[in-house]
Amino acid sequence: MSSSSVEYQKKELPAKVQTVGFGLFIAGLFLVVLGYIVDPTRSAYNNIIGFTFLASIAVGSLFLVGIEYLSGAVWSTPFRRVSEFLSSLIVLLPVLFIPLLLNVNNIFHWTHPAPSDKTLIGKAPYLNVNFFIGRVLVFWLIWLLFYYLFTKNSLMQDQTKDQNLTKKNVKLAAVFMPLFAITISFAAIDWLMSIEPHWFSTIFGVYYFSGTVLAALAAATIIIVLLNERGYFVKGIHTDSYYSLGALLFAFTNFWAYIAFSQFLLIWYANLPEETFWFLQRWEGSWIAASIGLIVVRFVVPYFGLLSQPSKMNPKRLLVMSSWILFAHYYDLYWLVMPNFSKGGVALGWIELGFPLLIAGLIILVFVYNSRKNNLVPIGDPKLKRGIDFRL
Amino acid sequence: MSSVDYTQELSVVEGKQALRELDDLIAKPLETKPDKKFYIALSITLSMLSLLVIGLGLTFYYGIGMWGNNNPVGWAFDIVNFVFWVGIGHAGTLISAILFLFRQKWRTGIARFAEGMTIFAVMTAGLFPLIHVGRPWLAGYLFPYPNQHSLWVNFTSPLLWDVFAVSTYFIVSLIFWYVGLIPDLATLREKTNHKLKKIIYSIFSLGWRFSNRHWQNYEMVYLILAGFATPLVLSVHTIVSFDFAVSIIPGWHTTIFPPYFVAGAVFSGFAMVQNVLVIVRKIFNYEHIITIDTLEKMNKIMLLTGSLVGYAYAMEFFIAWYSGVEAELFAFLNRALGPYAWAYWIMIICNVVSPQLFWSKKIRRTIPVMFVIAIFVNIGMWFERFVIIVTSLSRDFLPSSWAYYTPTLVDGMILIGSFGFFFTWILLFTKALPVVSMAEVKAVVDGAQPSHKDN
Repeated sequence: MSSSSVEYQKKELPAKVQTVGFGLFIAGLFLVVLGYIVDPTRSAYNNIIGFTFLASIAVGSLFLVGIEYLSGAVWSTPFRRVSEFLSSLIVLLPVLFIPLLLNVNNIFHWTHPAPSDKTLIGKAPYLNVNFFIGRVLVFWLIWLLFYYLFTKNSLMQDQTKDQNLTKKNVKLAAVFMPLFAITISFAAIDWLMSIEPHWFSTIFGVYYFSGTVLAALAAATIIIVLLNERGYFVKGIHTDSYYSLGALLFAFTNFWAYIAFSQFLLIWYANLPEETFWFLQRWEGSWIAASIGLIVVRFVVPYFGLLSQPSKMNPKRLLVMSSWILFAHYYDLYWLVMPNFSKGGVALGWIELGFPLLIAGLIILVFVYNSRKNNLVPIGDPKLKRGIDFRL
Repeated sequence: MSSVDYTQELSVVEGKQALRELDDLIAKPLETKPDKKFYIALSITLSMLSLLVIGLGLTFYYGIGMWGNNNPVGWAFDIVNFVFWVGIGHAGTLISAILFLFRQKWRTGIARFAEGMTIFAVMTAGLFPLIHVGRPWLAGYLFPYPNQHSLWVNFTSPLLWDVFAVSTYFIVSLIFWYVGLIPDLATLREKTNHKLKKIIYSIFSLGWRFSNRHWQNYEMVYLILAGFATPLVLSVHTIVSFDFAVSIIPGWHTTIFPPYFVAGAVFSGFAMVQNVLVIVRKIFNYEHIITIDTLEKMNKIMLLTGSLVGYAYAMEFFIAWYSGVEAELFAFLNRALGPYAWAYWIMIICNVVSPQLFWSKKIRRTIPVMFVIAIFVNIGMWFERFVIIVTSLSRDFLPSSWAYYTPTLVDGMILIGSFGFFFTWILLFTKALPVVSMAEVKAVVDGAQPSHKDN
């Protein structure tokens, strides 16, 4: 019955990868530190973009791992380790959060509301520094716990090949999903929406969720395509297995557009000043171009880039589109955050470069570290054979 | 049953029946005369339908003053019923299009029936805007066409978008359903000895000869239609939600409405499909085609969508407080604690609490329990629309004009009658067309799929 006769030869990543990762990390770190010295407020705003971007990839990857177990998908099983490795970034989230915390007064003006601002004072039971930190801690511990449990079971399966471990993870995934929905929504409200504490939108949690899944999918797709084309996984994986990656990227691109459009249309149409001001801030000076650019970058390009069926399986196209989508997620977060700092026009300079470089380096280093310690393919997973044999 | 073997794909259809037997079983209701049970059921639904006729007759004769609508509550049962039935119509195309794109093979047993229900539900829903306009003979003006009166529709109104969204959805669902039927109609054409039936099946099977080339084109058309239908399914309830959310009525104007309405529609649609299929599989002996596994998966989707709806309720409540807007907070507190609190709590218990029972595998696989839960879900989803529409209107901005809405007998007759209309179509469908797709089920029987490796 057992058909786990999969041949897997562990291949080390070339040393060059680590060097590049280290170089990016150091360059980013230098710029970030310099940025914090020169302009702490602006750096703190960049910090929140970088932090929410990293959180997207880390927590989104954990979601992808969970959803594979829960839905019983097999096409993704040979690649699941990639998302597992990326989800280990959860451990490092405090590294980017602590500098943010030191600058909490610079970004979140709900920390010191004007005495005349009755609305903000009314929100104080939720928006206060202690509760804010408490929430972050709870979110992080939940994510950390599930990261630990999922990967522990998955890695143990490499040795024991025990099917019960899959079953355990399926159950864990069922428990994780509602917790994920709640934590990611309130994370979005806390970290992004409350930068403009007067503004509110019930769909905002879903908005960040859609971008989070896209970022995690795109990051995984880049790594999967790069490594699979060089034979780091197992033999016999067909390009059909790429199809679902392309299709999901396409689907979530549409989902993001749907959510973003719903939010915009309803606020524009109702035309209530307590809601429209948020969009009007993004319609001043050069922000107009950035807002229109968001539609093109985040929706139009990936939509047409991934629309046709062959493009969802073409490794080159996938590589280009998933890198683009990752960039688009950063763009989106920039568009959400920066209008609060630089009102009236886009602010773009070397300070904005620090965090992307730092994060790119961090992701590469974390991935290299994990791939050295563990197998890149879950060789004990009962679904692995079916995953390799997957055909459309 | 206790432990799953993850190395093997689960069978969709239980047992290894010969393909011929499957054909015979699925075609049986069409080849036999209806029995007594059928006529009893039909007489019940026709009686209910006659209530609709009477209710509508009274409405047309005396005007919509026969309804309970009053001054602030200008929208009530008519729009509640419309949204409810459009919601029911969401499961079919979701199962046949979205689950198809997700390559979920278990959909094959239930897809045809769910698609049929979509069509009948959208037809039922379509009645309500027609009667709600008060002068249904003028409804033709809803379609923008150049006319001598220079009457032009209001393109910026979501009510008009509804006309486009629902009619497009209806047409595409109908085409999708019909395309799926073609191979089965050809099978029936080959099987039947009845002359008239043979002529009808021959015409509607469009010369299908089961050739390789036919199948190839068919599969491509099916895929493309699934691709078209997917955004349509999502757009319909999105636009229905716009009917409310573009306005500035507290409790209506909230940005989460579009995805929340879609989730709710799928939720209620699945509940209705599950309810009807539980009966159909029993009566027609389809237990091995529409298996307990399939029903369990439907229950899981209900758990998911029910929880999404619960998420939306909670998020709305939280943001109503967080926004600091007095009118928003009042609207939500009024829902939970005001004169319509009874309706609100029926909604919460039926929609959020009852599907949580599906966390238990045992309950997901126990037919009587899941049947009752799905009925609860349908009640809850009807009340959800009632709560949204009526509570917000009955306590609007001017306290001097507040009023309590009470439905009249005619309202009730029309509501019950709409069920009669829907179920009459369902009953006729079960005797007129194969309620399970023969071609698709045969393709998912164990061993039907050629494997690229020798097993």
